Amino acid sequence: MNRKKTIKIKDIVIQIPVALVLVILALMVLIPVVWMTFSAFKPEKEIISWPPTFIPDSFTLQNFSDVQVRIDIIRYVINSIIYAGGTTALAVVVNCMAGYAYAFYDFKGKTAMFLMTLATMMVPFQVIMVPLFLVVYKMGMYDSYWGLIIPRAAVAGSIFMMRAAFTGIPKEMAEAARIDGLSEYGIFWKIMMPQVKPAVITLIILSVNGSWNDLLWPMIVTSSTKMRTLANGLALFIGQNTIEYGTAFAGALISLIPMFVLYIFGQRYFVEGMSSGGLKG
Amino acid sequence: MERVRKYWNKPSRSAYVFVAPSIILLILFSVIPLIMAFGLSFFDVPITMNTAKFIGWDNFVEAFHDSRFLNSLKVTAIFTGLEVPIQVLGSLIVAALISKNNKRNKFLRAVYFLPVICSATVIGIMWRMILHSNIGFITAAMQSMGLGKINFMNTPGLTIYVVSFISIWRSFGISAIIYVTAIQQVSPSLFEAAEMDGAGKIRQFIHITVPSIRPTFWYILMTRFAGALQIFDIIYVTTNGGPNYTTESTVSYIYSRAFSSNSSMGYASAMSVVLFIIIMFITVLMYHRMNKEE
Repeated sequence: MNRKKTIKIKDIVIQIPVALVLVILALMVLIPVVWMTFSAFKPEKEIISWPPTFIPDSFTLQNFSDVQVRIDIIRYVINSIIYAGGTTALAVVVNCMAGYAYAFYDFKGKTAMFLMTLATMMVPFQVIMVPLFLVVYKMGMYDSYWGLIIPRAAVAGSIFMMRAAFTGIPKEMAEAARIDGLSEYGIFWKIMMPQVKPAVITLIILSVNGSWNDLLWPMIVTSSTKMRTLANGLALFIGQNTIEYGTAFAGALISLIPMFVLYIFGQRYFVEGMSSGGLKG
Repeated sequence: MERVRKYWNKPSRSAYVFVAPSIILLILFSVIPLIMAFGLSFFDVPITMNTAKFIGWDNFVEAFHDSRFLNSLKVTAIFTGLEVPIQVLGSLIVAALISKNNKRNKFLRAVYFLPVICSATVIGIMWRMILHSNIGFITAAMQSMGLGKINFMNTPGLTIYVVSFISIWRSFGISAIIYVTAIQQVSPSLFEAAEMDGAGKIRQFIHITVPSIRPTFWYILMTRFAGALQIFDIIYVTTNGGPNYTTESTVSYIYSRAFSSNSSMGYASAMSVVLFIIIMFITVLMYHRMNKEE
């Protein structure tokens, strides 16, 4: 900015409206989130009063205890943790292994397998949801954690991302480890995996965020109340017509906070993963 | 045991051990369902899912005489026509404004990206409530500005715009960040040269930024298009298709025909196939245009 002391009038004429637009956009993002957060701490009476307040007049934690009474939210949180954790753990193993194979080995059928993997990226999930439900149902995994987790583990985009990460490692490293007597699997796990840590963290963060927030798949593949995840259970809760607003706000906040913490610490990885198109947003 | 380990430790064999899990999972849960979707669409599958009767093209004939299905295609088209252009172009402009790496822009990017961590359910709760006709803060704010009490979530003709807006709200940040990454990779010398020639910011944007990030533009356009045509979760948590089916998208309708009380898996599959063909047709068309341009 010190480069030129003479700031052109034209620049100011552009800069002010630009800043204004950017601030308005930021407010449009923040206002609903902040209002919802505040409202979670308002007593029901204040929530339904007109005109609605922005900042709470009085503060209460009642909504958070109510939400456990109305819906078994602790159970939903546990289910979400199992779904997000299980899917992510399996996704790391499966997708890293595949990415490593495509980057480091030459084998018969490699091109065909890789092309098939890429082709699945083109298959819209919403289009196959009905038969996918049938497959899971016929395999006896309906309304179970296995049914939630296993079908979501292999993701072509993640395989693609891991392959790119592994391609950056010189092949001589594998050769050297082989001479040292490490098995193929030891090379992969002990030598190669630590080399691609940033990509693995990206995969973990996007997978956790994706499955924690996933609505459609848990709705399709589970039916009983005790299998509901947060996203799914809360959606069904607000779907009912008789609704307590404070409870809904509290539930939404509970489901948002873990991802917010993840975002604060892993923003870089979110951005990297999403902008490389590594996973579906 | 030792022999088994030795056998699978040959690089040419262990490669298969590494790819096998992903290939098996993708075949089971992606390839087979896709093939099944086509197969099922020619069958009548009752809710018990024990039998399936072959009925030829009947499901497709029914679909194109089903006013709810045709309406859902119309709703999806309106939604896509609103959401995609605004999102793809709007986020490009925003990206150009925040592409420089300084404190202000980094903060703005973090804010715009925030909706990514919100589940559709959270987004549904906050927007349904803030636009609620009885408790909504924005409803009240607009009323106090003299705009009257607008029932955002329950007005035929208006609500589809509200839903489109919420969908843009949700993902314009991701699109913008993807653009920012692309813009930052444009060689700075190009901008410097333009500056020397006296080109203003707007002309630099049109003549340097836009042409340089073409591939990213196409990538966002194609993925947003495919995403918009499959819109479901935002609708489910905000309006659930209402009022009076004016926001019922194709996937919303497919979902309700597949998984609700009057379940008909074969019919739902037929509609999925129609949607798949539409998505593929548009994607291939765009891909073709893109390749012609490059």
